Amino acid sequence: MTIVKPFQRNWSRRRFFGGLALSLLGLSKSVQAMGQSGTFSARRLATGKQPASVERDSGLARWSWELMRRTSAPARMTANIISAASPELLDEPFVLWSGSGDIEPLLPTERRGIEAFIRLGGILIVDDAHPESGNFSRAARRELRRVVPESPVTTLESTHVIFKSFYLLKRPYGRVVGSERVEAIVRGSTAQVLFLPCDLLGALASKPDGSFRFETEPSGKRQRELSIRFAVNIAMYVLCSDYKDDQVHAPWLMRRRARWQP
Amino acid sequence: MVDASSCSVATVTEQFIVWAEDLPYWSVGGSLVVGLLWLGISLLEIHRARLNWISRSAVYLSTVISLFFVTLAILRPATVLAKVSSLGAKVVVLIDRSRRMSLAVDGHSRAESAEIAFQKLSKRFEGVRLASYEFAGNHLKLLEPSKFPEPNSNSEYSDLTLTLDKLSSELNEKASAIVIISDGRWERPVESEEEQNFGNSGPLKGTTIHTIDVGGRVPRDASILSVQTVGASVAHQPLALEVVVYCAESLRCGKVPVRVKEHKKGVSPQILAQGEANFERDSIVRVGLEVVVERAGTRIIEVSIDAPSGDEIKENDNRYVTLEVVRDRLRILHIAGRPTYDVRALRTWLKGDSSVDLVSFFILRTDTDETNTEEDSELALIPFPVDELFTEHLSSFDAIFLEDIDAERYRLNGYFGNLARYVEQGGGLLLVGGPSAFSGGSYAGGPIERVLPVTLVKSEHPFDTVDFIPRVTAAGRAARLLEPLRLVVGDRLPSMPGANTLGAIKSQSVVLWEHPTRSALPVKTGGVPGPMPVLAIGEAGDGRVVTLGTDGSHRLAWGKEGLATAGRAYGAFWDGLLGWVMRERRFESALGEIDGICIAGIPAKVRVSFTDHVDGEVSIELRRLESTASPVATVKRRIAHEKGILFDLPTLVEGGYSGLVRIGDAPAARFDFACERGGKAWSDSRPDKRRLIQVAKANGGKSVTSANVDELPIPDAPQVTSFRQITPWLPTWVWALGGATALAIHWLLRRLVGLS
Repeated sequence: MTIVKPFQRNWSRRRFFGGLALSLLGLSKSVQAMGQSGTFSARRLATGKQPASVERDSGLARWSWELMRRTSAPARMTANIISAASPELLDEPFVLWSGSGDIEPLLPTERRGIEAFIRLGGILIVDDAHPESGNFSRAARRELRRVVPESPVTTLESTHVIFKSFYLLKRPYGRVVGSERVEAIVRGSTAQVLFLPCDLLGALASKPDGSFRFETEPSGKRQRELSIRFAVNIAMYVLCSDYKDDQVHAPWLMRRRARWQP
Repeated sequence: MVDASSCSVATVTEQFIVWAEDLPYWSVGGSLVVGLLWLGISLLEIHRARLNWISRSAVYLSTVISLFFVTLAILRPATVLAKVSSLGAKVVVLIDRSRRMSLAVDGHSRAESAEIAFQKLSKRFEGVRLASYEFAGNHLKLLEPSKFPEPNSNSEYSDLTLTLDKLSSELNEKASAIVIISDGRWERPVESEEEQNFGNSGPLKGTTIHTIDVGGRVPRDASILSVQTVGASVAHQPLALEVVVYCAESLRCGKVPVRVKEHKKGVSPQILAQGEANFERDSIVRVGLEVVVERAGTRIIEVSIDAPSGDEIKENDNRYVTLEVVRDRLRILHIAGRPTYDVRALRTWLKGDSSVDLVSFFILRTDTDETNTEEDSELALIPFPVDELFTEHLSSFDAIFLEDIDAERYRLNGYFGNLARYVEQGGGLLLVGGPSAFSGGSYAGGPIERVLPVTLVKSEHPFDTVDFIPRVTAAGRAARLLEPLRLVVGDRLPSMPGANTLGAIKSQSVVLWEHPTRSALPVKTGGVPGPMPVLAIGEAGDGRVVTLGTDGSHRLAWGKEGLATAGRAYGAFWDGLLGWVMRERRFESALGEIDGICIAGIPAKVRVSFTDHVDGEVSIELRRLESTASPVATVKRRIAHEKGILFDLPTLVEGGYSGLVRIGDAPAARFDFACERGGKAWSDSRPDKRRLIQVAKANGGKSVTSANVDELPIPDAPQVTSFRQITPWLPTWVWALGGATALAIHWLLRRLVGLS
């Protein structure tokens, strides 16, 4: 990785929407992969009669935009909503399942779709929009137990690669400060289902004018920045899997963790 | 078996008398003893009886007559008429015909001396039935009578113990003697101080064995007696070699340099290790050397010595060793220019293989990316160690994946020369497409282009983003490296999200997938115009290269295809490509190997085998390993539904060779081998007179040289009766009646004269 002296830019709404427009015109990094199938796309999983959340879905494009601005990864800024029963779910290895309350049991076709997605090695993020109540998270766990009953939920260590896949972080960040730990369903050596306790998509959700839709509590801007970094890390985890766990990175990361506290 | 005989059969008719042939010999003697005893007792009795002379004479006469007739009744004489043949003694001559016998000193080879000795022996043993056999390696062959074998044997050794075992089952008549013509340098019986080790303990035990020493004088020679490896040959790991070097005392070698070189295709041999053999104390010195072979597969290693002047046999100053180097683990470098799902899929597959040591470097951030950090310590990023990787560590990798990385931007192009040499020296390179791959990443025109299977073009449009389904070529359908993928998906390939702009395929390279609509752009240098290659393979020097001009192979793992195959298609695809680059035998269209050995100047044979029955023309193109010049020979054969074929090669000179086997449209399969001048047969040029003497002594024979063959004793000729007729003088009952009548008359006379 080539490192250059970091420089600050004005992160304006104009630039976000400018980037979005360029992307749609085919001129941004989102077309820097031949076709678009290989680029990161923040897709949201839709199940049953779960109500759509247009406000939060705006966070999907923001997620891709932030990834492109901050890293070399190409991405698509379209907000794809994918049905769990749709074959398109299996087109790419990433999907985010967001919600705020209890959900109805998954339909058999949805269960089969999610099961196939996980068995192919896909990464599913379960993002609870109201982690204070935890209703969605509990319901999602209940349903996923039926999908992959052989894989229990475990707690990831703070040294897990999602906390160092691009930025160095010590805990998950989102719209709210939830648990310091991320729980996950780990299959093989890969955490394939991540249960986020912090409403990550809420922290990324944007208004049409480019400003953020929801306040991040309690730490405001700093928490927002860390939330974006956490989102970038998750995207990098999806794209590079456990690359940053490679031994070649270990001495560097140890030195840097000693120097920097987020 | 036809017994070779070199003498005529002499037959004579004999007539003689036999006595009591149906009784044992002791009965004849016993009856004579009893008869004499009887005569003696009778004389004593007559002498004591005071008889007149008439009575005495009558009794005495009747005693003799009765004794005579009783004896005849017991012995029953008969006349025998017989035809007796004298065949001459059977002597087996064993002639050592291993290639060692072609060693020549003072203008005469041991084989020539053996021929002279054989002629002398034939003359000396005139009248003796000679059965001549040649022995070498593990074979024993009966020769035509009095014919000396042509000196064309490829056998590298001779084994007397094995030969005698085989001879015992060949012979249907016990030999009177065995004569061995050799230099005594056999594999077995091994050198030993104990004489009983040379005695023949098999079915031929007791047969006299003579030896004729045709080794001549010990040559003034320095040679490599043997090269042995200690432990398995594993790529990247030190391998201990023990080189046993010999120097004749008459040569006064002192210190002799020993050198180990590896022969690779297309490049000059590289020195792996050097040492020294010090002959100040002994004539045989063991030199331990450690070598590291970086590439797995069949590797040709040459071990040589710098023999001093006066060395009479130059051919054994070097030996070629063919090492089958295995991999403990596969060490792979994966470099990607940006993280994408294609990169993810490849990394996940590589990490999923426990036999792979994966070193990855992904460009996660460019100079223009805005990380919104105040200091680098907020980032988990490390510098891309391009200098270190492409200078210091390059040779340690078995294969390198370059995936969609801009060579100019990340300074790879400065190391293209190193990368090309890495491939030419046996490394594997797999280039995976993307916007920054090939021409899009400044690969065109660089030194790396010389090792690629396709030409590159500097295009304003280095890639397109139009979905397409690759078309499998005839070579792709025939290639075993794509067979795992075919087994999973058949001929249905997923669409790919655009293609890199590639030039035409180079000669000797193969297109496996081609673009259905785009054509290779015209280029000035080389290449065959046609549909644009998408997936191409080729050999460059000692290494192999794969180019995939798209970044959509992850679609084999995902989507409808991924669901239908549970993602197995992706692994099957890359398993074949990486396996072919790593020369795994299962991905070769054919397997070639030298049948036996290859000796310079002697025609060799190559055995080519296939996994399935094959029809069509099979050709082998032979090149010198280190040369890029045109082939030294090309041989072709047409076969019909066969799984293997034996090719006759022309005579070759010493050195390493690479053979390319072509069958139909399938990618050529390569096999490497070496031809030696001296080989194992000439490695030890010393004749072993001592062993010849020991063998003769232990088996009751005599050891002579070719000059004094006449001193060998001629064995006695056995005689065979072919006809025998017995005619009794009188019938048995007549003898019995005569004996009884004589006894009766004798008894009556005794009574008349008053004896009891």
